[in-house]
Amino acid sequence: MEDEAFTDISGKPITLDCQSHSSFCREFTVSSPKVSIGKVMVYTCSVWLVAYSVFFFTQNTAVLSSAIIVTLVGMMLYIHFVKVDHESLLVIGSLGLQVSSTYASGREVTTFIEMDKIRDIVINEAIYMHQIIYYLCVLMKDQSEPNGVSGVVPLFQSSKPRLSCLVKVYKSCQEVVSRCQ
Amino acid sequence: MGQRRKVGAVKAPSSQRDSADASGAHSRKHSICMVSDFFYPNMGGVESHIYQLSQCLIEKGHKVVIATHSYGRRTGIRYLTNGLKVYYLPLQVMYNQSTATTCFHSLPLLRCVFVREQITVVHAHSSFSAMAHDSLFHAKTMGLNTVFTDHSLFGFADVSSVLTNKLLTISLCDTNHIVCVSYTSKENTVLRAALNPEIVSVIPNAVDPTDFTPDPSQRQDDRITIVVISRLVYRKGIDLLGGIIPELCLKHPDLHFLIGGEGPKRLVLEEVREKYQLHDRVRLLGALEHKDVRGVLVQGHIFLNTSLTEAFCMAIVEGASCGLQVVSTRVGGIPEVLPEDLITLCEPTVRSLCDGLEKVIAKQRSASVPPPGSVHTRVRSLYTWRNVAERTEKVYDRVAGEEVLPLAKRFRRLKSHCGPVAGTIFAFVAILDFLFLLLLQWLVPDRAMDVAVDATGPGGLWRQKTGKRSETESKRATKQAAETKTQTQ
Repeated sequence: MEDEAFTDISGKPITLDCQSHSSFCREFTVSSPKVSIGKVMVYTCSVWLVAYSVFFFTQNTAVLSSAIIVTLVGMMLYIHFVKVDHESLLVIGSLGLQVSSTYASGREVTTFIEMDKIRDIVINEAIYMHQIIYYLCVLMKDQSEPNGVSGVVPLFQSSKPRLSCLVKVYKSCQEVVSRCQ
Repeated sequence: MGQRRKVGAVKAPSSQRDSADASGAHSRKHSICMVSDFFYPNMGGVESHIYQLSQCLIEKGHKVVIATHSYGRRTGIRYLTNGLKVYYLPLQVMYNQSTATTCFHSLPLLRCVFVREQITVVHAHSSFSAMAHDSLFHAKTMGLNTVFTDHSLFGFADVSSVLTNKLLTISLCDTNHIVCVSYTSKENTVLRAALNPEIVSVIPNAVDPTDFTPDPSQRQDDRITIVVISRLVYRKGIDLLGGIIPELCLKHPDLHFLIGGEGPKRLVLEEVREKYQLHDRVRLLGALEHKDVRGVLVQGHIFLNTSLTEAFCMAIVEGASCGLQVVSTRVGGIPEVLPEDLITLCEPTVRSLCDGLEKVIAKQRSASVPPPGSVHTRVRSLYTWRNVAERTEKVYDRVAGEEVLPLAKRFRRLKSHCGPVAGTIFAFVAILDFLFLLLLQWLVPDRAMDVAVDATGPGGLWRQKTGKRSETESKRATKQAAETKTQTQ
């Protein structure tokens, strides 16, 4: 029931909340900081300044109104589809994993992975943009082949916590997963 | 300033380890990053050199990682035998599996590798590899010690070699140490790159003696078989071979040729075969995989090498290791490779090679050649990878104590070594590289990067049984316990 502070791969602070509902059910929530008002101001101002300078030369008011629409629509799209506030992983032994992410607008996307489709949960390394990072992922069982891996589902995709945080979640997950199998 | 601080930070842990580990003078363990464009799945001499050397260094307790560019869908991080970690970085390939060199675009990823693996020595391979030169350049900017291994000989005359030599001069003038595969190669590199010979070491290649064992039962005793295994290109003297075949086949009716390899000069050999009707006596096997080479070698009595230029000929060592009599041209580094009684050296002419072969054939007929087994035992002690690794380790020990040139000194070195024009240009590029590094350090500070979990080296977590598992999986010890439980279910 405690909140722990970690950082993500670019050094921004995030918090990890571990909740142990029972011995075989645990929930991990990674929360990123909210959208800062400063960032919103900077983006809005820059769009409007550009629009105003274009308006200054063209004397076309459509530019200004389109700038307003662009900022409003952009902001809505951003909070609805891009900005994730919380990502949570609910591990229920013998049942499965529930992965959900809550967007800044309140929209929630949830997926569930059955336990008998999961082969394991591992920490893996990958090249992401111009960095090499660790990430937590679920290995999916290949139905045709007992030892094969048919796919990989990465967890905490948008918050991207660092290794120290991943290790904590990983160990805790393994305790539950190994107990029920 | 940033450079010196890094050197200190990097060296501190290893010296602590030194004092903790009191097992002799060579107890210092390095974190080595091998960089080259050429690595498996690409096949060749450089690739196997890097792999074998890395394996022996891991055995000696050093931490080794390899960085190369991605091959097709093989991108990301893989583990090979004994926890050898390979970074397949997504860099654009330009020509002949060599990446584009812009001096900058590879910095973010290479820096990431160097920082997270806490690399102390960067070891670049092959002068054909742009990525190797890039990594040397970045490593020096980041204040890491650098070693370079040259695997090939170059000319001085044509435009492309003039340009390559200039680039090599720039790349090597502030590299800490250079390794060449033979004395001829050393001479060549020192001349090409205008280096101080004292910082150039000679460490020859090695063969895996367990791979190349003799098997006389595979030979057919009613005939004498000459084996040639090389790429069929001009450099390997295939035109000479085309001259030798008809002459000797005419004189010795029981002589057979077995030729492995592929290349543009195959036509020459096919023409010869057609013209003299030698289809049953000259067999062209086409491209051979490395694992099949031994099977071909043991069928022969004599190994023939007709190279026109060669830094260090692996093929003749492999031939001798299989117990064959070796006949070769006296070019490049070949005379240093084998002791005189194991090899017959000839001038690179058809006449001289025929004479040499006749002599060996006569010896073979009179059965006065040493038995294959005794040749093998002599060769197996000559070139072993453990010996190569030991000598490379000494280079690392020496390099680790050296200072990496700070920026100002590096400029002076570049200007004095590479001429006023190229020197100034590359001094400018070095400044840009340094500024780019500062920008990256501001964007993603070193402390925001996770230090990688060591698979090899003093704190290595790699265990033997992990070798069975899929190479893409992470190999954390805790996970493994869970994994075995999963499997027993």
